[in-house]
Amino acid sequence: MESFEQTDGNRDELIIQQQREIEKEISESTPLVSEQLPLTCLRAEYEGDEIFTAKIQELAKKYKFIRRTRPDGNCFFRAFAYSYLEYLISNNSAYQEFRKLAEASKEKLVQLGFPSFTLEDFHDTFMEVISRVSPENAEGTAKVQSELHKIFNEQGYSDYVVVYLRLITSGKLQEDADFYQNFIEGDFTIEEFRHQEVEPMYKESDHIHIIALCTAIGVGVRVEYLDRGEGSQVKAHDFPEGSEPTVYLIYRPGHYDILYPN
Amino acid sequence: MAGSALRRLMAEYKQLTMDPPEGIAAGPISEDNFFEWEALIAGPEGTCFEGGVFPARLVFPPDYPLSPPKMKFTCDMFHPNIFADGRVCISILHAPGDDPMGYELSAERWSPVQSVEKILLSVVSMLAEPNDESGANVDAAIMWRERREEFNRIAQRLVRKTLGLPT
Repeated sequence: MESFEQTDGNRDELIIQQQREIEKEISESTPLVSEQLPLTCLRAEYEGDEIFTAKIQELAKKYKFIRRTRPDGNCFFRAFAYSYLEYLISNNSAYQEFRKLAEASKEKLVQLGFPSFTLEDFHDTFMEVISRVSPENAEGTAKVQSELHKIFNEQGYSDYVVVYLRLITSGKLQEDADFYQNFIEGDFTIEEFRHQEVEPMYKESDHIHIIALCTAIGVGVRVEYLDRGEGSQVKAHDFPEGSEPTVYLIYRPGHYDILYPN
Repeated sequence: MAGSALRRLMAEYKQLTMDPPEGIAAGPISEDNFFEWEALIAGPEGTCFEGGVFPARLVFPPDYPLSPPKMKFTCDMFHPNIFADGRVCISILHAPGDDPMGYELSAERWSPVQSVEKILLSVVSMLAEPNDESGANVDAAIMWRERREEFNRIAQRLVRKTLGLPT
């Protein structure tokens, strides 16, 4: 009995391990964040598919480029961070505001109950990344943009930025728990949801993650939904509702990439 | 990636050395390799493991703390949540989704803001209060549930063994 059960437990762990290895192989064939690509490159993925082809056609009227992110469950956070920091490079006053907000965020998270000791490293790295993409760099915007791209393709930095945004998101959910509780499906409490679906790496994002992060940082995000839904139009949704978007993302079931409007 | 893992592990080691929680000591086996630690855990007072000092080994992945370490007792153990080979099976050592044991929703999971200290404290709680729903060692779980005195006797024998006393 004992040895049988233990083999069983071992087998489950082996299956999980194997699954993770397959996921890793797939995801590592995509860079963490790609170069800008013409939006029309999406066509190749849906060749012969009339609905998608028509929708990509429509989308191409509004957006010129797409930047792909690695499909590792962190794509929303990575895409959001890249796109917003890229916007800030050419908007110094917004950059200064964000820098202040980011600086103060650690204390806020500690007050919300996050352990200061383990938070520190993520906050330090986050601030370092923000400093390295300052619009005040004397070498010019193009140089800072290439620095941003370099940073986001270095796993250590890129993942720490994702972790920190996850913590800000989790903090917001806790701060306004009464409000966000209404959006949580199933038997989760907000506390469980934060620990299970927000804070751990590689967990995919849903609307609630997006709303909480956008609200916490005070940034509008427009998401274009490219799916099999009716009509030839791609449906867009702004988070928080009615806001002026700064970050543009495309969502295909299970995955977010960055969009560049005309 | 391993650079930030190393930085974090060094900080955790420093913290654990300066301000160790009661009944716990942990640190790298060799200063050349911060990714393998040894921990000594005192059996919690008032439990059948009281008096014992249980050695365990922690192995950290290169992407720590994004992913959790693995933990294994290196002494003989008999406990519902410890495999016969010593591997510790508690929820905090797993990210949500990696769930061989079907932990409860509310069970504490790994996330990058957890720490070695939190793991070791969870292990102390586990020694004090086994979870007989998640049977890493089914015999131990059944005995814990149905023949507690026999379980306690085995635990006391293991305690003596860790102290090098005749069993």
